[in-house]
Amino acid sequence: MDHDLPVDPDTLREQVRTKYREVATHPDRSFHFHTGRPLAARLGYDTATVDSFPDRAVESYAGVANPFELRRLEPGERVVDVGSGAGFDSFIAASQVGVSGAVVGVDMTDEMLAKSTATAVQLGLGHVDFRKGLAEAMPVEDGWADVVISNGVINLSVDKRAVFDEIHRVLRPGGVLQFADIANGRPVPPEALRDVDLWTG
Amino acid sequence: MLEEAGFVDVTIGPAFDTFGGAGGENNARAFDVYGYAFIARKPSINKEGNHHGKR
Repeated sequence: MDHDLPVDPDTLREQVRTKYREVATHPDRSFHFHTGRPLAARLGYDTATVDSFPDRAVESYAGVANPFELRRLEPGERVVDVGSGAGFDSFIAASQVGVSGAVVGVDMTDEMLAKSTATAVQLGLGHVDFRKGLAEAMPVEDGWADVVISNGVINLSVDKRAVFDEIHRVLRPGGVLQFADIANGRPVPPEALRDVDLWTG
Repeated sequence: MLEEAGFVDVTIGPAFDTFGGAGGENNARAFDVYGYAFIARKPSINKEGNHHGKR
């Protein structure tokens, strides 16, 4: 890292963990963002696929757009899901790549990992594996992935360039990054960028 | 930033009103925040070991 960061990365990570721990364990609560099946419908996910999932696979979904909107995954592809949360996008990916493919979800929040792992077992998805790690340092070997997906996660990293460098590392040459995230059309004032509460709220 | 990190063929999808009707709508409106799908590619390598695509 060779540049100044507006907030302390560890402080921001702990704030993000706290927020998404609650999304994992109490998905019925009200958050500043939409969640669950209503959000998946709002963002245009395939209804039949989402309807086939049990509630626990969808209820903690908190994405910001649809990473499969611009490209459907192909059978056999190897996929890394950066910030996989409770696993919703990983399960969508698993349904698209099939059993000849593989999906690795990476998340830093224990409660999300526990939930996604248990749901994968419930769904019998042997080609999906959830691992603990940071977006800036993923437990995935160089060039393993054909595709990297992510949804509403990169904006929560204080060092986005480090995340993109890490994604570049795990992708094979010619591999595809397809992700969803938020972007602002108006500049955020420096004092707001230094307010860690605004990063997650 | 994607191109600085070595990605090429960057495409951005249409905007989604991600926070409309949610608690975060006011902050989203203040900074014109929307959700987008993005796609980009890591350049492939040719027989000479060079990357295809601009960096």
